[in-house]
Amino acid sequence: MTEEDSVLVQVGTRDAMDLPLNRSRWRRSALYLYEIPALAFFGIFVGYPILWVIYTSLFAATVHGATYWAGLGNYAELLQSPTFWMTLRNMALWGLITIPVQMIIGGLLAYAIEQYTIRSKAVFRTVYFVPVVTSVVVIAIVWEQIYAPYYGILQAGLTEIGLHLNFSLLGSYDTAIFALIIVNIWEWTGFSMLMYIAGLNAIPREIFDASHIDGASGWRLSRYVLIPLLSGVNKSLLLLGIIGTLQTFPLVFLMTNGGPDNASQVFGTYIFLHGFTEGQTGLASAISVVVLILAAGLTFLQIRYLGTQFLSRKGDA
Amino acid sequence: MNVAAKVLLTGAGSLALTSLAVGVSFAHQAPATHKKTVVTVWSWFIAGTMKQAIKQFERTHPNVVVKYSYYNYSPQFLTALKAAAASNSLPDIIGLQPGSLTQQYRPYLAPLNSLAAKTWGSHWESKIFPVDRAQMLMGNPPGNHNVYMLPQESQVICLWYNTQIFSKLHLAVPRTFTALVHDAHALSSHGYIPMYQGVAGAWQNENVYEMIADQIAPGLFHKAQQGQAAWTSPGLVKAMTVWKRLFTTGVFQAGALGDQAYPTGAQLFADGRVGMMALGSWWLQEAKYAPPIPPLVRGMKGFAPFSFPALTAHGHVSPPVGGIDVGDGLTKNGARNPAAWQFLASLVDGAGEQASLNALNDLPAFKGFAPTAAVSPHISKMYHAFIGQLSHAENQRFAYPPVQTAFDNAIGGVAAGKLTPMGALKQVQAATKKALGH
Repeated sequence: MTEEDSVLVQVGTRDAMDLPLNRSRWRRSALYLYEIPALAFFGIFVGYPILWVIYTSLFAATVHGATYWAGLGNYAELLQSPTFWMTLRNMALWGLITIPVQMIIGGLLAYAIEQYTIRSKAVFRTVYFVPVVTSVVVIAIVWEQIYAPYYGILQAGLTEIGLHLNFSLLGSYDTAIFALIIVNIWEWTGFSMLMYIAGLNAIPREIFDASHIDGASGWRLSRYVLIPLLSGVNKSLLLLGIIGTLQTFPLVFLMTNGGPDNASQVFGTYIFLHGFTEGQTGLASAISVVVLILAAGLTFLQIRYLGTQFLSRKGDA
Repeated sequence: MNVAAKVLLTGAGSLALTSLAVGVSFAHQAPATHKKTVVTVWSWFIAGTMKQAIKQFERTHPNVVVKYSYYNYSPQFLTALKAAAASNSLPDIIGLQPGSLTQQYRPYLAPLNSLAAKTWGSHWESKIFPVDRAQMLMGNPPGNHNVYMLPQESQVICLWYNTQIFSKLHLAVPRTFTALVHDAHALSSHGYIPMYQGVAGAWQNENVYEMIADQIAPGLFHKAQQGQAAWTSPGLVKAMTVWKRLFTTGVFQAGALGDQAYPTGAQLFADGRVGMMALGSWWLQEAKYAPPIPPLVRGMKGFAPFSFPALTAHGHVSPPVGGIDVGDGLTKNGARNPAAWQFLASLVDGAGEQASLNALNDLPAFKGFAPTAAVSPHISKMYHAFIGQLSHAENQRFAYPPVQTAFDNAIGGVAAGKLTPMGALKQVQAATKKALGH
C-alpha cells in the first residue's frame, strides 16, 4: 500500500465513520423534538397557570374593586391569620387520620372478603365500593341526617343505649372536623379495599401455602408476608391519600362550608371563600401558592423516602 | 380490491354523500333560525319560572331566542362567573345579588341608568321600592351613582309558623320574647321542632340577627356595615346577646349548629314537624310547586307569617326587613346586544316579571305588580301584606364581602359558644375597618 493509498483509506474510513455518526447525532437531537408537544402541553396547562397564580398573589383589591400591588402582603396576612393555621391543622388531621385508617380498614376488609367468602365475594366487594361511586351530594345529605341530634339516625341508635346527643357533631367547634373525617373515611375506604384486593390477588398462591406450612398466620403472616408484598399498594394509597387530602373540597363545602367559625376549614373551602365568595383573588392565590409549596414538599419527601419505582413497577399491586 | 373492501368503500361513500345532502338540506332551511338574535342568560333563578318568562318574551319578540343557563348559586354559579369573567366570555345577562356580588363583577357590567331612563322615563327609579333602590347602589365607590343591576324580585324576611300545630296545642302567635320561649317549650314538649334554624348555612343567621337588631335600633346594622357606626354599639351587642339566648332558652332546635335550612329544614317545616322557621315571602312559592306537595302547603293553608316578637313586654315587634331577592345585570358583552336589554327589562318590569309573580316566586321589584294567576284568598292576603311591608322595609343585604364573612364567622362563633357577643362584634368591627380602609 502506497502512502497515497493509505491516506485515501484513512479519509475513506473517516468519512465512512463520520457520516453515520453525524446522522446518529442528528437523529438523537431530532428525538428531542418529540418532547415538544408534551412540553408545550405542560407549559400551557401547568406552567402558565402556576406562574399566573404566583403573579396574582402579589396583588390585592379594595372593596370597591380597584386592584393594587401588595407585594408579599397577602402572604404576611395569611401567616398572621388564625384561620390559616386552623386550616393547616385541619389538613394535617385529615391526612394523618384518614390515610392510615382507610388503609387499615380497607386492608382488613379486603383480606376478610378474599379469604373468607366464596360465593358472596362479588356482593361484598360491590357493597363496600358503593360509597366511592355515590354522589358526594347524596353522601352529605345522608350524613347530615345521621348526625342530626334531634331526629338523626345516630341519635336513634344512641337512644337505645340511653344516651342523648345534645349537640351537633357538625356544628360544634371541637368536633366538626372529626365528624367530616369520619364521613370521608366511610366514603373512601372501599377504594382502599379494592386496591388491596388487587394486591392480594397478585400474590402467588404458593407463597400463602408456604407461609401456612411454615406456621405463619395472623399477625406473623401480615407482618412478614402480606405487608412486604403489598408495599406497592401501601405506597400508592399513601400517595393518593395525600393528593386526596390536598384536594378535599366538596364534602366540607356541602356539610359545613368550613364552619362553625372556620373550625372545619380546609384548603379548598378556604381558597373558595376568598377567591369566589369574597372576590379577593390575590389572597386566594397566595393560599394556592402555599398549597403548591406544601404539595411540592410532600412529593419530594415521598420520592426521597419511598422512591418512584412503585408507581411503574409491575406485579406489585 | 376484494369484495369486502369494495362494499366498505361504497358504504363509506354513500354515508358521506348522505351526510353532505342532509347538511346542505339543513343549511338551506336554516336562514330563518340564523337571523334570530340570541340572548344568553346565566342565573340561579328557578329554571321553570325563567322558562315561562322566556316564553312570554319570545312570543312578543319572535326574532329573539333567549338561551338560559341555570346554575346552583354556590359553588356552580360563582365559579362559572369567575371563569367567564377571566376569559371575557360572560353571557349577555347575569343574575346578581345587590352589594357584594354586584361589586365583584362591576368592572364587567354596563351602567343601566340611561337605558332605564329611555325605557321607563326619567323618574324610573320611583317605580322601584325604596329598599331595593338603596340596595341597587350598595357598595358603589363614593360618587359613583351608576346602577349596575336591576332588581328582578324583592323579598321580606319574617318568621313563619305552622297554624295547625299552634291551633292543636292552643298556642297564640308570640308577640313577646317571653311568649316565644313559652311556645318553643310547648312545641318541644309535644315532640315538635320549636323553631328550625339552619346555623350551618349563614344566610338564616344573618336574617334573624337583622330582625332583632332592627327592632332594637332600626338602621344601625346598615350603618355599621357602611362604617358609619361601630359594630360594638350597645344596640348591636344587645342583638347578639338576644341571638345567643335563642339557643340557650331552647327556641332553636338542639343541634341547630350543624343544620341547613334547605333542603332539610324546609322539608321538615312543609311536612308539619316544625313549629316555626325564619324564612321570607318566598315561602309562598311552595304552594305553586308541581304536585305532589305536602297538604300543609296547598294554598299555604297550614302556614302564616309573623314578625320577630318584641324583646320587652310593652315593646314593638321587629320592623320589616328585606330588599332585593334576585337581580340582573347587563354585561359589557350584553350591552352590545340590544335584545339583551329588552329581555332584562321584561324580567324586571314586563311579561317576564308577571310570569314569575304568577308562579308566586316572590315579590315584585317594580310597584304595581301582583299575581294575575288564581291564588287562594289566604295567599292573596299574605301577598298584599308583604307588599305593604316592602314599602318601608329595612335593608337586609351586606355591601362588602369581607364584612359579611367576618359577620358570619362572628355570629356562628357566638352560637357555638366560642365567642362572646362583644368579642364577636369586635372582630366584625376590625374586618370592617380593614375592608373600608378606615
